[in-house]
Amino acid sequence: MPLLSRFETPAALRDFPLGSPFYDRWSEKVDELMGRDRFPGSAGPEPAPIGTPVGEFFSPHRHDVNPIAERSLVWMGFPRELLINNRDNRQLAFESGDTRSATERTTQVEYLEWRVTREGDRIKKVTFVTETKEYWEVMFAFDPNRVLDLYRTLVDPSITMAQITDSAGRYNMLNEFNTSRGIVHLIGISPDNTLAAAIGLAQGSVGGPGRRHVRDNYEITSFPRTSADPRVGIDLDDLARKGLSVTAAEAVGLYMAAWDDTGWTKPDGSPVGNYWRVVRGHPGAALRLEYEVPAAERFDVSDIKIGGRPIRFGGHLAEHITVTVVGRAGVRP
Amino acid sequence: MAKENLDKIIAELSKAEGEIKPQERGAVNATFGERAKQAKKQRSKVAPHVGRPGAEPKKDQRAAAKKLEKVATPFALSLEFEPVFAENERKNIQGNIIPGFNKDYQYFLFYRIKTVKKAKVWLRWIAPLISSMEDVLAFNRLYRILRYRLGSKDVPIKATWVNIAFSNAAVAKLVSKEAALSFGDQSYRQGLAARSEYLGDPTNPRSSGNKNKWVVGGPDNEADILVIVAGDAEKAMLDMVDQIKTEADRGGLTLLFEQAGETLPGRLRGHEHFGFKDGISQPGVRGRASDAADDFITPRYIDPTDPRSDLFAKPGQLLVWPGQFIVGMQRQSPEDLFTAAPEATNFPNWARLGSYLVCRRLRQDVKAFWEFAIDTAASIGLPARKFASMLVGRWPSGAPISRTPGADIPDLGADDLANNHFLFDDATRPSNLIPVPGYPGDTYPQAAADLLGAVCPHFAHVRKVNPRDSATDLGKIADSLTRMIMRRGIPFGPPLLGVGLLRPPLWKKERGLMFLCYQGSIEDQFEFLTRRWSNSTVQPNVGGHDPVIGQEGSQGNRDRFIVVPTSPKPTTVKIKDEWVIPTGGGYFFAPPIESIAEVLGA
Repeated sequence: MPLLSRFETPAALRDFPLGSPFYDRWSEKVDELMGRDRFPGSAGPEPAPIGTPVGEFFSPHRHDVNPIAERSLVWMGFPRELLINNRDNRQLAFESGDTRSATERTTQVEYLEWRVTREGDRIKKVTFVTETKEYWEVMFAFDPNRVLDLYRTLVDPSITMAQITDSAGRYNMLNEFNTSRGIVHLIGISPDNTLAAAIGLAQGSVGGPGRRHVRDNYEITSFPRTSADPRVGIDLDDLARKGLSVTAAEAVGLYMAAWDDTGWTKPDGSPVGNYWRVVRGHPGAALRLEYEVPAAERFDVSDIKIGGRPIRFGGHLAEHITVTVVGRAGVRP
Repeated sequence: MAKENLDKIIAELSKAEGEIKPQERGAVNATFGERAKQAKKQRSKVAPHVGRPGAEPKKDQRAAAKKLEKVATPFALSLEFEPVFAENERKNIQGNIIPGFNKDYQYFLFYRIKTVKKAKVWLRWIAPLISSMEDVLAFNRLYRILRYRLGSKDVPIKATWVNIAFSNAAVAKLVSKEAALSFGDQSYRQGLAARSEYLGDPTNPRSSGNKNKWVVGGPDNEADILVIVAGDAEKAMLDMVDQIKTEADRGGLTLLFEQAGETLPGRLRGHEHFGFKDGISQPGVRGRASDAADDFITPRYIDPTDPRSDLFAKPGQLLVWPGQFIVGMQRQSPEDLFTAAPEATNFPNWARLGSYLVCRRLRQDVKAFWEFAIDTAASIGLPARKFASMLVGRWPSGAPISRTPGADIPDLGADDLANNHFLFDDATRPSNLIPVPGYPGDTYPQAAADLLGAVCPHFAHVRKVNPRDSATDLGKIADSLTRMIMRRGIPFGPPLLGVGLLRPPLWKKERGLMFLCYQGSIEDQFEFLTRRWSNSTVQPNVGGHDPVIGQEGSQGNRDRFIVVPTSPKPTTVKIKDEWVIPTGGGYFFAPPIESIAEVLGA
């Protein structure tokens, strides 16, 4: 298979006209991340060098590999750590899950973040995102006004440039319209909800020293309490153990793959309608997803019950959203 | 391939099953302790952390891993860390939870409390009849000794067991509303009918599976009490049932529904109505019944020199901490395969040593299942029996398709030390077993690595509800251990298979599975397995619905699909019909035996 000439934008977003040099800028950014020999700042294992017998993580832009399989690596959007730390008190887990602000460390660590729009104590809308800061930083570097336009479209038409930048005019991802008053993209800081972290996780999962003795997944026992890290780590290590070359499939990104509203009922007890709206991305690969009951229905999200339980937190929905990255495995020609 | 004929398939299935061979393995534990003492421990190393900066494993996880690395004596994990069930615990835990009745004849009585005062008298009457873990373990011990001595499975001792469980509404009636509210499992407090839609059951009131049409457990006919009677001999069991019913009539109870269950006859013993051997894969319970080094609750068959002896009771049977099934005991850590997590705290004191019981009466439409299998197999060029086995993940004999992709091996299906020994993601290595009298060893082909689901598809029932060594949407393998349930189901209704010529009246008779399972949390175990894995097209791994028990219920839609690993491209197959239809049940709690008379009956 010929080398990939250019990395695609997440979900093939077209935030600029076709042919815009922006797409080259984004591709360069992904290439920078995919082509790293190691993940800077990580105390974790290095990826296997290209060509090692235990497999490798490769950049399809730099190395020619014949793909033989693609595999969607899916995980639960709600933070697993909150559920296992509050095993006997799910209410507390969901209360903790809605924390997201510039000053407090977000608890939303599964590459899915959300914001609940309330009127009083009633939930009107829940907005979910998987877009990474890198995409918005590259956009801002290329055309700050386009970023401002998108903020105005997605959050509030009255937003000014000064409100999303710092005193030096640089993009401030922790601006209030991406934290306390709105949501545009991921901000997770520890652990990082960034594309660099996701790619670094994938690179670090492959055949690092000390992992080559592993014969099956029962022998891999040490992982963080998230769903995402062990999911990606175990699966990619497993593919690499088979001697395969692995990478992130195009378009490289983090997506909401599915959302399941089985057993969600209207106030009259009947099944809810389709109140999901993919705002950025597309079904199966959503980047921004909103859940809001149409005005004609005359009730709110708070009036919906999931399995007989009223929705009180955004996390009640996040538990039923599946996040994914798509891995690709192949062999050297 | 020409389309196969339904009658022919059914007839073939009826004839072609391997003999269910008696398992002459009863006394193996006699030598186990000695071997355990002599053998050397070979623990696998713990792989280094992989994950994002800031998401390192917690200190306690690292400590647990290090602790295990230091363990030097054989079965140290079992002998040093696993609990010894005290006499009080063995006498209070109901026997169907652990080790399980596993009788050929069972009977289920669903009662509504009419008069609380009289019901309490009845409870005090029935309490001494309730069979404990101690009772069942003692019987099983004696049975194994006799079977070994006689060299035959036909052992001249019989037992009839009784167990009981209560809905949350019953606790409110018999104890107090506060007591009912103090059960932390919210699903139990709500009841099965309130959770029906969440489980994917049909929401259309005209559908036969809609909860309003259930024979028991619907919004208007929820049972307060479930009595389970089980026996080796049908007559003795029915005598006990009659006695209980007579007393219940006097005891202020209304019988809402009764159901007999019976193991399928002859060669189909242990199979469910579609024709597949059922109940093969059960979790093993960590712990011992006494201080004796070899008196394990779940017998151990893996040689202590094999590092997997601390993970598995027998090949493929993962060991799980008992709190996953008994509230108030140490639970399974979702972080580490070996370590325990603290016991649950969200239940009233008197409920300690009890267990949540889910009962689902599932009607099986055998004709619809096999017609789908035959039609679809013909359309994608596979033999019907092979395709049907891909839906299940096992051949009708119980042989895993992972171990024998091409054809059934009935002897493998009947081999308890081999039929559950397979991984999905990596090639399965043989286990070293302790000597088992008369057992020649597992000589069948081992399963090859099947990470991508080319042999056992990701939708296959056994892969959906037990992902084994696969990562899931919840990440690590240890988390999957916290989802396991203790299944105690039995078929009901007349069999279709094995009866010769099929006539329409027989097709029309109702048949199915009385599905029962015990767990420490209905929401985190039974409901999770059902809603999050069986019913999902993407969880635990992408590939479609579980075509056997999975249901689709999003926005009232019922259509399911599976992605069949055909060559050169996978084929997406839509499923319109349903062949497992819920027709009743309930969420119950099986309390410790002393609380039946002293709390609920007081």
